[in-house]
Amino acid sequence: MISRTIRIRDADDKKLASISRRLGLALSLDEMKAVRSYFDKVGRDPIDAEIHAVAQSWSEHCSYKSSKYYLKKYLGSLKTDYTILAMEDDAGVVDFDGEYAYVLKMESHNHPSAVEPYGGAATGIGGIVRDVLCMGAQPVALVDSLFLGDVSSDRYEGLLSPRYIFGGVVGGIRDYGNRIGIPNVAGSLYFDKLYNSNPLVNAGCIGIVRKDRIVRSKSYKPGDVLVLMGGKTGRDGIHGVNFASATLGKVTKSSRLAIQLGNPIVEQPMIKAVLEANDAGLLRAMKDLGGGGLSSAATEMVYAGGFGAEIVLDEIKLKESNMSGWEIWISESQERMLMECYPEDVDKIRQIAEKWNLDFSVIGKVTEDRRIRVYYRNRKIIDMDIEFLDDSPVYQRPYKIRERDRSVTIPEEPEDLNSFVMEFMARLNTCARFNVVRQYDHTVRGSTIITPFVGRPNRETHSDATVIKPLEGSMRGLVITSGSRPNMVAADPYAGTLLTMVEAYKNILSTGGTPHSVVDALNFGNPEREEIMGQFVESVKAIGDFCRKTGLPVVAGNVSFYNEYRKTDIMPTPTIMMVGLIDDVRRSRTTYIKGSGNVLYLIGEPCDNLTGSEYNRMHGHSDGYLPSPDLDELMRIRDFLSSKRDFILSSHDVSSGGLLAALSEMSFGSGIGFHADLSNVSAARPTVKLFSECGNGMVVEIPRDMEGSFVDGSTEISIKRLGETGGDRIIIDEAGLNLIDITVEDLRNAWEHGLDNYI
Amino acid sequence: MNIPKVGILLMEGTNNETEVYFSVKRSGGHPDYLHVSDISSGRKNVSDYDALIVPGGFSAGDYIRAGVIFAARLSAVAGREIGDFVDSGKPFIGICNGFQVIMEMGLIWNREEITLTNNESGRFECRYTYMTMTSNNPIFRDAFRDKGPFQVPVAHAEGRIAVSDRSVLKKLYENDQVLFKYSDPNGITDDYPWNPNGSVDSIASLTNEYGNVIGLMPHPERIYYPYQAMYDDSRKDQATGKLFYDSLISYLSGVHG
Repeated sequence: MISRTIRIRDADDKKLASISRRLGLALSLDEMKAVRSYFDKVGRDPIDAEIHAVAQSWSEHCSYKSSKYYLKKYLGSLKTDYTILAMEDDAGVVDFDGEYAYVLKMESHNHPSAVEPYGGAATGIGGIVRDVLCMGAQPVALVDSLFLGDVSSDRYEGLLSPRYIFGGVVGGIRDYGNRIGIPNVAGSLYFDKLYNSNPLVNAGCIGIVRKDRIVRSKSYKPGDVLVLMGGKTGRDGIHGVNFASATLGKVTKSSRLAIQLGNPIVEQPMIKAVLEANDAGLLRAMKDLGGGGLSSAATEMVYAGGFGAEIVLDEIKLKESNMSGWEIWISESQERMLMECYPEDVDKIRQIAEKWNLDFSVIGKVTEDRRIRVYYRNRKIIDMDIEFLDDSPVYQRPYKIRERDRSVTIPEEPEDLNSFVMEFMARLNTCARFNVVRQYDHTVRGSTIITPFVGRPNRETHSDATVIKPLEGSMRGLVITSGSRPNMVAADPYAGTLLTMVEAYKNILSTGGTPHSVVDALNFGNPEREEIMGQFVESVKAIGDFCRKTGLPVVAGNVSFYNEYRKTDIMPTPTIMMVGLIDDVRRSRTTYIKGSGNVLYLIGEPCDNLTGSEYNRMHGHSDGYLPSPDLDELMRIRDFLSSKRDFILSSHDVSSGGLLAALSEMSFGSGIGFHADLSNVSAARPTVKLFSECGNGMVVEIPRDMEGSFVDGSTEISIKRLGETGGDRIIIDEAGLNLIDITVEDLRNAWEHGLDNYI
Repeated sequence: MNIPKVGILLMEGTNNETEVYFSVKRSGGHPDYLHVSDISSGRKNVSDYDALIVPGGFSAGDYIRAGVIFAARLSAVAGREIGDFVDSGKPFIGICNGFQVIMEMGLIWNREEITLTNNESGRFECRYTYMTMTSNNPIFRDAFRDKGPFQVPVAHAEGRIAVSDRSVLKKLYENDQVLFKYSDPNGITDDYPWNPNGSVDSIASLTNEYGNVIGLMPHPERIYYPYQAMYDDSRKDQATGKLFYDSLISYLSGVHG
């Protein structure tokens, strides 16, 4: 059927609700009423494509209706003079070196990955790459932060087993990312049973573009031609955004249909073709087809330019010939790009598409009046006021802030720290990520300077951040890190989010970079519950406060709500991707100990609090009082490290797994051990000093003969001498009394193989 | 003297062309991309180049055996021209997926007797290893022969060289066709993960009988400068990639070989 009319003008409330349900619109009763009154005014009933178009534009996914108010309130004014585009187009754009800009974005792909882990994660990569590509940028790095269920347990509640999801998600990212040839260089991996049925897949991408080649996602001029390039349009991914904007239920045929199917071997040549067309100066505006398909892309692009559009669907290449007009209009088939060009350039773009064996169709033009008109097989299927479509409702949802817990728990000390530490470093959340990350090509394009692993080949350790050198003619590098500390955010959304920001910041400082810009992907439960909304508001407030303090811009973001299963919400998970700059990639610093006889220092006041730490959580304590990190101290640490950079041989931040994990990982990369004494650190118990994960702590390695120069002028910050490097053992004492004495290799082996049973 | 012109062959899914392009350029060659559709439309000819490189990637997705479709399309659009090119003695190099392509084209050996198959680990392996030169190939001899192991990245899922019979191996050695072997920092080894895919006899790279068709799984183009190297190798004067591509360009320029 080409189209049909939906009778809503004479529908009562009950009927309106049933129409929304039957058509899979996911619109609330109030929203349906607003649609009814619009068509009352117009004086006719809507055509199916029109009501579907409204549902796309007004979905939580596309409209941010629950989050917009708070995002604006807390993150609205965060811009710097080097920010080119923040929170405007599909991705953020930031100055790189005066001539070039880098483009960045991160997005969640949670609901699809819960139902179809492999395909959901794969299209997550495809989608984020197109967000960066549509700004005219060459993608240079992929990032993924994953939060998955408890793979060590055989128990699970619903949908799919966590281990199956783990394998599927990693496989999807691997097969899509490796095939398009963009290095996957950074990210994070966290496990907890609260993600069992609702895994989080946050994919990020960074690109590079010459500033005069930036393409906007807003229409340029009436009369310009709209063309579609890439793959074919099919029934895959119908109602994907509506599905992603509601709570997960049973896996049904329609929820599976809502999952898009990715094809990296269309995406890869599409990247080439788009960049070739952009190099030739043929593109006036561009937007990728993601959530909401052509409906969202076309509407948002012409709306942003202040125009309308007239579109004919007939030329669009279809996977199935019997599709209705509304299905073509909202299909979320992957690997498609909407472009706007001058009429005289259409053939030049067509030739480029042909060279790369891509489908190409002319679909319409930009119009002066602010209406969207869509035709299919000689019938008009949409004729609507664009303001109404884009003017989605905004909710200032009520929220409740949970009262702060004032208690602090310190679990009983393990009897034998040596055997405890062997077990601790092999735990899911502290062990090595080799089994996952080695499946991703992180050296393709030949621009990865610091890879996710550093140290002896095949005997490496983790790096803090990775470094990409995006331009052949410049030594300047991008320093990239991504992650979240849901263990901390769950204990205290405000302090925990600050700690997430601090970790990202420290990762960049540690690698020798200067933090430069921030992108967030905010994953929360059901926003209709006040305590969940409270977590969200606190978290966004923390991001705003951190960025104001540090002078960083938030240039792009993404919100994913309704991450719950059977009324159990996920841990609140604000993922932060932070990008820093380094003037010369050859000055990048790595985490592994460089030699024997050097000195180790702990920088930053120890926070001596186990709340949220892996150590407390493994003992069954997940709540308690969590102090906020001192951001003034962080600024002093930044300045200190920068003034002392020539003395620092290696550095590593203290975060997940505490000081013990930080020191051990520094040894793992070279096999060089150390002898440290904790009595200098603080008066707390040894286990508190070893396993606390809060605060601004960083460990640095200094040559012994530079010690004086390093310490000189450090009165403004806390620096504590821990001990010396050397030998092949990890030896930790407290006031001369030995606590831990094991070989680096034994501990490294336990750490290296922690994931072996699961992937 | 003319700058040697090096053609870099592309099709959908080829994705290692950027690093090959810059490596050729940095070493003083003149790189040029040629897509199979450039060849089929007559826009470009393989005979216009002094050397050809098939870079890595996932040509056509590699959903069936790696490299098969690229090989079939290349043979269809320029089978005879490539045959002439190779017969004239010009270098024709395949890296990673490109190695799989030239194996499928039968340019190195009879396809029934040598194949590139799934890694023994059953996984995609992205890591660093070393390679040691084991032949007397004139292109690379001066830079690599008797100079020990060279650090190099690998990134593939189907890189294991398997032979139908030990006698094939014997002939490869007799013909001096084994160009590089996987090594650890001290020398040739068959241990995983230094031999990342379980290749027979730790073989990382093969040539045809005449030494001008060259296939290798590792990626020298991703380690052109010392700052791209890992650990101690980052302090070396010259990284593997520069030696590799300098050798090729100087050979093409007639400086050695």
